[in-house]
Amino acid sequence: MNFDLSDDQRLLRDSFAELLANESSVDKAREVAESDGEGFSRELWAQMAGLGYLGLVAPELAGGHGLGGVELALVCEEMAKRCFPGPYLEQVLAIKVIEVAGGQDELLGRLVSGEALAVIADRDGVWPGQTPDLRFEDGRVKGRAYFVPYAGSATHLIVRTAAGAFLAEGPFETRRMQALDEAARFYEVGLDNEAVPLCEDGPVVEVTSTFGLLGAAAFGLGIAGETLSRCLDYARERETFGRPIGIYQSLQHRMADMLLRTESSRSAVYRAAWCLDNEHEETGLALLAARAYAVEAARLNSQEAIQIHGGNGFTWEYDLHRYLKRAMTLDQFYGRSGEILEMAHEAAAGAL
Amino acid sequence: MDLALSQHHQSFRSELHDWIAAELTRTWSQELRDPANGEHELIELRRAWQRKLNEAGYLGLSWPEEWGGRGLGQVEEVIAAEEFAGADAPPGINVLGLNLCAPALIHHGNEEQRRRFIPPMLAGDEIWCQGFSEPGAGSDLASLRTRAELSGDHFVVNGQKCWTTFGPWADWIFLLARTDPDDRYGGISFILVDLATEGIEVRPLRQITGENEFGEVFFDNARVPAANVVGEIGQGWPIAMTVLGYERGAGTADQAARLGNDLRTLISTCRELGIDDTETRRRLGKLVVDLEVMRANGYRTIADLDAGKAPGPESSIEKLVWSEYDQRLRLAALDILGPGGQLLRSEPAARSDVDWPRNFLWSRAETIFSGSSEIQRNIIAKRVLSLPTL
Repeated sequence: MNFDLSDDQRLLRDSFAELLANESSVDKAREVAESDGEGFSRELWAQMAGLGYLGLVAPELAGGHGLGGVELALVCEEMAKRCFPGPYLEQVLAIKVIEVAGGQDELLGRLVSGEALAVIADRDGVWPGQTPDLRFEDGRVKGRAYFVPYAGSATHLIVRTAAGAFLAEGPFETRRMQALDEAARFYEVGLDNEAVPLCEDGPVVEVTSTFGLLGAAAFGLGIAGETLSRCLDYARERETFGRPIGIYQSLQHRMADMLLRTESSRSAVYRAAWCLDNEHEETGLALLAARAYAVEAARLNSQEAIQIHGGNGFTWEYDLHRYLKRAMTLDQFYGRSGEILEMAHEAAAGAL
Repeated sequence: MDLALSQHHQSFRSELHDWIAAELTRTWSQELRDPANGEHELIELRRAWQRKLNEAGYLGLSWPEEWGGRGLGQVEEVIAAEEFAGADAPPGINVLGLNLCAPALIHHGNEEQRRRFIPPMLAGDEIWCQGFSEPGAGSDLASLRTRAELSGDHFVVNGQKCWTTFGPWADWIFLLARTDPDDRYGGISFILVDLATEGIEVRPLRQITGENEFGEVFFDNARVPAANVVGEIGQGWPIAMTVLGYERGAGTADQAARLGNDLRTLISTCRELGIDDTETRRRLGKLVVDLEVMRANGYRTIADLDAGKAPGPESSIEKLVWSEYDQRLRLAALDILGPGGQLLRSEPAARSDVDWPRNFLWSRAETIFSGSSEIQRNIIAKRVLSLPTL
């Protein structure tokens, strides 16, 4: 047994971190996020495609690398640390669904090469309990979808309806929905587009409840760890009453808890990723647990980070708000956190 | 990354699993519920179970064979702890001796001490208690004042120890005593003391559970052979720190299994009683999630041990995780089960599976003993996060 990454995995993580450090500094990410544009850098996207990151978990036949959960988690964790903006996880999930559904090899190749961009349009309404009427009629998908990530940039949408998933082709009629996190890009989409049946709902559920939960969990882990590391730096430099604030027990204990949450998230996320890659019988519950715990850790740590940075933490320029906003966004996507707890309960009760 | 047990670890687990299934006729919960079992009977049951384990070679798994161990690794220790907890086997009678004193002897003691003390410790013939805390020295352990003055070939011991777990039943105590009043850390020695020595009195100390697992130990000019010091005189503090590291580590291995048993019981109790509201399901779901995370932490620990990494100050994280989880689990159970959840185990109307009120009260101790939660957070801040200190 060992909990260590392989040499290849370490290399992947380090090279990706280096790419982001060079091409997507937090300053740059901030500029992209706050612009009126697509919310990500097409230039970096093309670079990522060229280096194979878009096809990380895509099948090799489509030009992908056929890698697994551990690698996806490593990439997502690095993205979260640097507030990377863009539809990375969203497109990975679309690619996975299309792969599982089969029959769209040409499109898969174009997604992996960055020529096309696909995301999933879920059946969520704006408010709890609402389900918009998305339907397939006469070769077209119709209806209004909400909170569709990056739909303004997508060439294809996987639209979930009561009758299964359909692959719709753009252009789409979109309106940006501005929400808590200015870095996010959510759209209301008025659908009346040509589409083909893709698959039953099963493959979509399968992908969102595996790679979707895992990716969100890994983002949570990245946020939890990065906000802690910023606090540690600040606590050593910032002085009050003639001493660095890191000397005060009230802050030390809060940072000790931040470490506890970060390292527990790391254990849970990597274990879930390993279970997924090895088709372990406990994969389902491990993924739910990783997603619930790590996203909560991200929420708590990013809130603590703002408090520990005091007045500076509340300023726009200190960037801590970006992590909190991302954590709050994660909380409501790839499963809503409250519902995930119920699913974890159900999984445990079902195993009795 | 590889989180699967190796073939030989798997066979160790299944061999032990079968052995427990054959040898354990009643679970510990059943013994506790039996009105025929008073405090004395329960102690004898624990002693008998420990003897069985010793005869079958399931104690001291990771110790060298020459001192009665099996010469296996830490991974086997963890597997065994999980299996015993999972099967609800009686707790060992000599936990403190085996988990704390024996490692001190193996790492710091001399050959004669190991030969003299380890075999009866394993057999359950001599029960040990831990003499660290004092009325004026709990979290600030190094302020301890019990004196051991060297007089010829004996120490003369004076002072008082308290919150001494197993004190009332123990035969021996491993003691931290002050051999130099002017040297805060370097003036402490680790000494083995026979509780039958003249000048020593043990009084039971009642806990909030009503039990007398605790004791106070009074020393009045007790004469202890100088040969009973472990390591050198004045070396007691670093030995104690190593030993506490073991206590935190050893305490963790079986917690997820033990807590998992009780959580599953709570979930099925709720199902039987038809308690199915959203708030309860989410609260239980959160406990399920946190248990899975604790298990993931556990797998990571085993994997690191298996890869040859020594446990570090991170064991403080594990201690915080399980002790605080236990408190949340017990509180949730009492909140969800209502008045019935508060019934004592002797009450015929009580549910027979888990003694919720006793365990709720007991869980209050877990964030105090073996270094309080505040001390654990200090350790993390200083030794893991390297934050500045006063």
